[in-house]
Order: sequence, then C-alpha cells, then structure tokens
Amino acid sequence: MRLLHNRFTRWLHARIRSSIVTRTTLAIVALSLILGLSFASFVSTSVERREQQRGELLQQQLLSTIERTAQIACYLKDSTLAAEIAQGLMRNRAVSGVSIAAGGSILARVGNSARTAKTGIDNSVIVRPIYSPFDPAERVGELALLVDREAIHAEASADSRASTLAMGLQAALVAMGVAIAVYYFSTRPIRAISTELHRIQIESGARLRVPANNRYDEIGTLVTDVNALIASLEGLLTTERQLRIAHEVSERKMRLIIEKAETGLFVMDNHGVLESWNPAFVRLLQLTPEQLPQSGLTSLQQLLETHAVRLNQLLNQCLSTGHSYDLDLNMAPPGSSRTVWIEVTLNPIGATALQGVINDISDRKQSELSAQEMASQDILTGLLNRRGLDANLGAVFYKPLPESASQLALLQIDLDLFKEVNDIYGHAGGDRVLRHVAGVLERNVRRGDLIARPGGDEFVIVLVGITDRSKAEEIANAIVAEIERPIDIDGHSVQIGASVGIAFAQAEGDSPEALARRADSAMYAAKRAGRGRVALAPEALAPEAVPNPTNAVA
Amino acid sequence: MCLFLRVLLILALWSVARADGTQTLVVIVNPSIGVQHLSRREALDIFLGRYRTFPSGASALPIDLDINSNERKQFYLLLAHKDPADMSSYWARLTFSGKISPPFAVADGHMAVDIVANNPNAIAYVDRASVDNRVRIALEITP
Repeated sequence: MRLLHNRFTRWLHARIRSSIVTRTTLAIVALSLILGLSFASFVSTSVERREQQRGELLQQQLLSTIERTAQIACYLKDSTLAAEIAQGLMRNRAVSGVSIAAGGSILARVGNSARTAKTGIDNSVIVRPIYSPFDPAERVGELALLVDREAIHAEASADSRASTLAMGLQAALVAMGVAIAVYYFSTRPIRAISTELHRIQIESGARLRVPANNRYDEIGTLVTDVNALIASLEGLLTTERQLRIAHEVSERKMRLIIEKAETGLFVMDNHGVLESWNPAFVRLLQLTPEQLPQSGLTSLQQLLETHAVRLNQLLNQCLSTGHSYDLDLNMAPPGSSRTVWIEVTLNPIGATALQGVINDISDRKQSELSAQEMASQDILTGLLNRRGLDANLGAVFYKPLPESASQLALLQIDLDLFKEVNDIYGHAGGDRVLRHVAGVLERNVRRGDLIARPGGDEFVIVLVGITDRSKAEEIANAIVAEIERPIDIDGHSVQIGASVGIAFAQAEGDSPEALARRADSAMYAAKRAGRGRVALAPEALAPEAVPNPTNAVA
Repeated sequence: MCLFLRVLLILALWSVARADGTQTLVVIVNPSIGVQHLSRREALDIFLGRYRTFPSGASALPIDLDINSNERKQFYLLLAHKDPADMSSYWARLTFSGKISPPFAVADGHMAVDIVANNPNAIAYVDRASVDNRVRIALEITP
C-alpha cells in the first residue's frame, strides 16, 4: 500500500514536471478548491444568517397570525383555545416549545419549556406580551416561544452543503474543461513542434511546419522565429566552416613556410629548453641524427655547448629587458679554415617563453672579413690592420731615415689573459678591452709611428726613427705597465697583461718580414719567461735563436 | 287605553330617537343584586364572557339585543370599539373551545328590561327610554 502510494507520488511528480496539462489542471483544481471552500464558507455563513433571519421573521409572522386568537384566549383565560394555538405553533419545525400564560397562570404549555431546555443547546426564547383584544392598554398575558436554533442551523447547513456541492461540481467541470482546452490549444501543438524540432537535422534545409490552426497566434510566431533561428544558425555554421577552411589553408601555408624556411625557427622556455623547431634549425646547428633535440628536455645551451656561457647571457638579457637581442656564433669546427657563422636572435614572448631565429651569416661574415682585409684599417680599434701594416711597414722600412734617428724598431705585443676575458664577458667585453689597449698604445707612441692590430689580441708598433734602442724598451715597459692596470667593464674590474717582443731593423740584409718574425720570436720568448715581460730580439742571430729575455719593469 | 297610550309614547320616543339619531344606552341590572354601579370595563368583561360574575361575586347573566339592532351595534362600538363583523369573528373563534358562548339575545329592549326585572342575575343594555323603575341603571354609556 505504502509502496503503491510512493509510486503514485513519483508518477505525479514526473507528470507535473513534464506535462503542462497536469500542472494546469492541478493548479485549477487547487484554485477551485480554495475558492470553492472560501465561497462555501462565506455562502454557508450567509445562508445560515439568512435562514436564521427568515426563521425569526417567520416566527414574528407566526406570532402575528395567531395574535388575535391568543389575545382572546388570554383575555378569556381559555386554555382550550390556548392549547389550540400552541399546537398550531408547534407544527413549525423551528419551534420546540410554546407556553401561554395569562393572569399569572399557564394556559397552555407544549413541548420543551424555556425553563426545562438544556443549557448549551442554542435555544432562544421569544416572549411576546399579549394585550386585551378590546383594550390595547391592558396586558392580559404573554406567549413564550422556544425557538430550536439547532433545527434552523441544520436546515441552513443542508442548504449550504448543497450549494457547496454544486460549486465543487462546477469547479471540477471547469478544471476538466480548462485541462482539455490547454491540451488541445497549447500542449498538443507544442509537443508536436518539440518532437519535430528534436528530429530536425541542421543544415539539411529542413524547417518546422507551422500548425494550420496556429498560423496567426503565439505558437505560429514561435515556429516562425525558431525557423529564422535555424536559418541564421545554418548561415553561421557555413561562415564558420569557410573560416575554418581558410584558417587551415593559411596555417598549412605558414607551416610550409616555416618548414621550408632557410631561417632556423624555434621556441624555448625561459631556461632555454626547446619546445619546437623547424628543419632549418637542425640544419643550421649542424646536428647529427643522434644530436636531435627532444622537445621539453634538450636545451639550446646543450646543443651549442661551446657557446653556453654567452647563450645564457643572451637569454638573461632578453628576459630582463623584454627586448630582443642577437648573438653571432662561430660554428666552424676547430681546426677548420671554413667560415661558418650563425646569428641567434631571441625574442621574449612574455616572461616564460622565447622565440628564436637562427640565420646563416657565414656569407656576411665572410664578406665582412674580406672587406676588412681589403681595407687597411681595423674597424674595431681604428688601428692599421695586417694589410695596412704590411703596406706601411714596407714603406717606412725602405725609406731612408735621417742620420740622427736611423733606428727602426718593431714591437710585437700580445695580450695575456685576453681569451678568458672574452669567455667571461663575451665579444663585447673583448672588444672593449681591445679598444682600451689601442688607446693605451696610441698614448705611448709618437706621431709618425705605426700602430696596428693584425688580428685577434695581437698588436704591432713600429717606432720610426728612434735615436737609441733603450727608448724602444722604455716605451714597451710603459705600455706593459699601463695595460696591467685594471680595466672597468660594466662595473667589473678586469685585469689583463701584455707580453712584448722588440726587434730592431738591421742595416743590411734585413726585410720587413724578417723583422716581424724576430719580434714575434722575442714576444714568445717573453711569454715563455712569464707574462708581463718585454723581450729584445738578439742582434745578428739567426731567427731561430732563442733570445734572452730581459726583465720587464717591476 | 293605557296600553295604547304607552305604545304611542314609545313609538313617539322611538321616532324621536330615530329622528335625531341619538340614543342613550344604559346598562341595567336587577336592583336586588345589590350592584350600584359598574365601570365600562366591568360591564364589557361580563358581556364578552371574561367574567361570569359581578364584581361583588354574584353570578351575572348578560342579555344581548338582536344582532341587527342598533343598540347592540352602538353598545359594542362604544365599549369595545368593535363593529358587528369584529364581534362575529370574536364569537366565532370561541366556538372552538365551546366553553364560552355568546350572551343570550332578545328581540328588543322591552324584553330585555322584563328579563332583568324578573331575573336578579340578569344584566342588559337598553335605550334609556326603555328603562322603568323595576330595573336599576348601573352604567350610562355616553359616546
């Protein structure tokens, strides 16, 4: 029984949720019940009141009807007549007792008397004085009527019950009618549309049919609007698809461009760990199949191990400033004469990722180098380059010098610890040092002397026309001393040193090349003897001979 | 002769009474009953059957006049303010109980006077003109 009840409750809940008809019917039934009950209670009270009033009126009328006879009965103290009257009154259902008294005695008493009536029963007594039929001023007796309110009440209740029942029946019929109307005019067409909409395939061109009876009402409008919505949805889908195709095509193009690009492209995180790259990246870094990076594991620093320090600097520079920076790297294998250079450019993408570009700049580097070679001046320091030195040395070597200053000295200067500076502070740091040294050299020679940087950290000074040899030594020592002073590079104090080899041109059988060789040998001798020294090339000795270095200043 | 004269006189008086439309009704009793005076109500109560006795306690026998007589009409009209129809209705109601019946009616005042004169308990109303010394006037009914 309980189970059945639960199942019914569940079923009812489901119906209420899913069926408008059920919901509407229930709402109407509930409303009719509430309204019906309140109306019924109102009606029953009003019916009861009316009934009561009617009863009272009836009693008054009743009393008026029998009044004359009662007057006579009381006047004559005629108990027979009085009994007659009392019997007559008792015929009324609302009257439960009658008592007629005249001159202090009871003429007639029928039914319950007011005195014997039980308390609690809602009875009431109507007492009417009776006057003489011949003298309205003479009171001859009184008539007491015991009214049975219960009877009146019962009658009224019966009446109100009947009207309540009628109302309930009416409410039930109205509810049923509304339910049927809702089903036929609203639920059924909506369900039909819903089913149709459920089956409709978008982009099949199918549309909802407007129910014939609802063409001009809200349902018709709804269907039209839904159709419009479907149409616009289809339009949007078509546009979307076209856009997607266009996007795919452009993406494929982009991928193709990236794949086929001569430029190496890659993305890495803020630690340098590679995420993606294109074939040109692999090619430019000259990676063997074993060296191929693994996405998310291999870093650029691992791939370019020899340049790891500089790559880290570049990475930090990019991330701290948010700008892109580039770096030229020499990819030539050790001992190779080929010029292989790449340029790595990093563009930060936010704080955690960088996009990189790698270009082969071998050709550019090559042409730079050749251009530099073609020129006589070193671009970095403004000193003569090898070519300039060769040209100018030849000129001063063979030019006759004045008697007083007949000496020609060549100082071969090589920097100590320069490679370390380059490794720590990069090319830029190295370049700063080279320019600093160039400045030192320029300050320590006279006008007319030659200063050159034939390459790397190698400098050559040609002292033209000195009076005695010790002057050359003096200059060399001054230079060594000055170079040894700390140099400031980006707030860091850097100390390098210099080793100097000095050779003097000989009066006979000498050549610029031989002079340079002797100076070079002397410089090596100085280096071997310990850095920061000045060594003189021995006189008239074979170039192979090892000179004795002299101590440098301090 | 005497009878003739008396008849003539009565007729003359009657005609006079008729002519000016005024009669003076009086309630008469037998002098032996000892009733000197009756109020209008006392007289009416006896004639309407409420009391069967005089205020003194002696039994009373009301005598009505003919139902169509002017005196009867006048009497009830003046004392009870009821017309003959009302009075008929009154008595008709009482026929149910059967306890009280309307007073015995006589044809005219003389007959009534005779009855009162001969019956100590009798009481009647008559035109003053009909009264003789055998009866006592207990009440004079003036309009």
